[in-house]
Amino acid sequence: MIELRNVTKLYGKVIGVNDFTLTLKPGAYGLLGPNGSGKSTLLNLISGQLRPTLGTVLVLGESPRNNAGLFRRLGYCPGSEGLYASVSAFDWVRYLQQLQGMTAHEAGEAAEKALELVGMTQAMHRPISSYSRGMRQRTKLAQALAHDPDFLILDEPFNGLDPVGRHELTAVLRHWIGQGKSLLFASHLLHEIESLTQSFLLICGGRLLASGTAQDVHAMMVGLPNEVALRTSDPHALAALLLREHAADSVQIKDGLLTVATPQPGRLFEQLPGWLKASGLKVSEMHSADESLQELFNSLMKLHRGEL
Amino acid sequence: MIGNVNAVFLFEWKRALTLPRMAWWALLALFPVFIVGVIRFSMPSEEQRVMYPIPPEQLRIFWAFMLYALIPMLVSMLGTLLWATPAISAELERRSWVYLTVRPNGGTAVLLGKYLAAVTWVIPAALIGLTIAVPLADTGDGWRMWWTMARLVCLSCPAYGAIYLLLGTLLPRRALVLAVAYTLIFEFVIRIIPAIINKLTVQYRLQALLVKWCQLSLSDPGERPSGVQALIRIGDEPAWQHVTILLLLPPVLLLIAVAVLRWSEFSASAESDV
Repeated sequence: MIELRNVTKLYGKVIGVNDFTLTLKPGAYGLLGPNGSGKSTLLNLISGQLRPTLGTVLVLGESPRNNAGLFRRLGYCPGSEGLYASVSAFDWVRYLQQLQGMTAHEAGEAAEKALELVGMTQAMHRPISSYSRGMRQRTKLAQALAHDPDFLILDEPFNGLDPVGRHELTAVLRHWIGQGKSLLFASHLLHEIESLTQSFLLICGGRLLASGTAQDVHAMMVGLPNEVALRTSDPHALAALLLREHAADSVQIKDGLLTVATPQPGRLFEQLPGWLKASGLKVSEMHSADESLQELFNSLMKLHRGEL
Repeated sequence: MIGNVNAVFLFEWKRALTLPRMAWWALLALFPVFIVGVIRFSMPSEEQRVMYPIPPEQLRIFWAFMLYALIPMLVSMLGTLLWATPAISAELERRSWVYLTVRPNGGTAVLLGKYLAAVTWVIPAALIGLTIAVPLADTGDGWRMWWTMARLVCLSCPAYGAIYLLLGTLLPRRALVLAVAYTLIFEFVIRIIPAIINKLTVQYRLQALLVKWCQLSLSDPGERPSGVQALIRIGDEPAWQHVTILLLLPPVLLLIAVAVLRWSEFSASAESDV
């Protein structure tokens, strides 16, 4: 679906994307990275808005620059708002569908259907200036879906949405993925991506840090230091135990929750049950890298920065 | 592709039918009428002219240049400058450009559709202003004056629209500054330089057509021209040559603008939002 070969994008002396090589088969992928990590540049390269300074970008087997055929199969929801204040959602989505090559009548029908899909039927004839941020996000998503593309690129599509809106649009996108269509979903929030797919790409500083499923990345994390939070009957005693066993670099106790920075999480998880049994301490809750994608992300970021 | 251009054209026209934009349009149409009215009613009366007679030909030349300066020049230039120049920059500032360019030939359709919208927006304003201003001026040959100016408007608007659109495509972030600089330096200053370079300006062509179509006798042979006539430099080219160049200019410039557009990168995220 997407092939990037040694792609570098420079803005003068600023590196947007740095020697990016990647091959993605059709499917749903989450693009995860903090603000300024190169997500938008990468999406702009994939959508043909930018030309790589070095390397090759292929989308559905073709170069995306000025590629009319490809744009018929591509749906793009950018991160920027970019809506016309005085125009209604219906007129705007219909206009964009006309640019997609539909007649005015076909475009009107497609716009109506897409706006209904994202829950905008009631408000679609009102000017966009009267919309809440969530309604604008829904409208943006509608314009990307309306021409029924094969491949959808979404840049932070849930920004400004309330929990109900997120839930509804997540359902829409899950249905989309369920139809066998492809999706690339960029976000800086893990739970947004996790709600749609387990396949993700993690980028930072314009580089691909990791790719694969959460389990794949976890395999890379074996032996790497990490933070583990434990809720126990006696956090001070457990902290002393872990320090004595050299299982922790540092400990912090706050509101009864013990947070341990461990250089060897694998050893900690392996030996903790034995230490607890011997000491008589009880642990009622534990959050670790095994369960939280956020921990993987944080650890990889540290690894990339050379902090580990 | 034609359908896409048509969609942009109609969408832009629909967006233009708002009160503030209509007010601007009316201002553009009525400004020449106001100036002509002020001049007309501050001119000496018939009785005063008996004492200080003005030759009718001089009066006709004066009105021809005044109407030309106000309508095919000012209204056409200003109207297209304000409409065609920000074709891309307005979308970039609004961050809506990316939505348009991920469509098949979207950028080209936007460029051409906006160009057509700008030209068809300015020409009616100029013609309405002209239709009111000519009888008000009482030039003595109203029909010829109107017909000449109308043809000049229909030649100048597409030409200036294409020039400003190209400038806006070349440098969208500084489009208006570049367009104003071009107008002042090229169309006003270089136009009056007595060298071959002035033939590259649109004004050279339009003024030559004005003189020919209105049959203005600028000065007697051997007489030194004065006033505004001194600034008018007309070559020996036939009218058809000027018309052909003015008709060819828009498609050539639009083709260049489309080529520039397809080559350029206009991503709003550049640098600021890596």
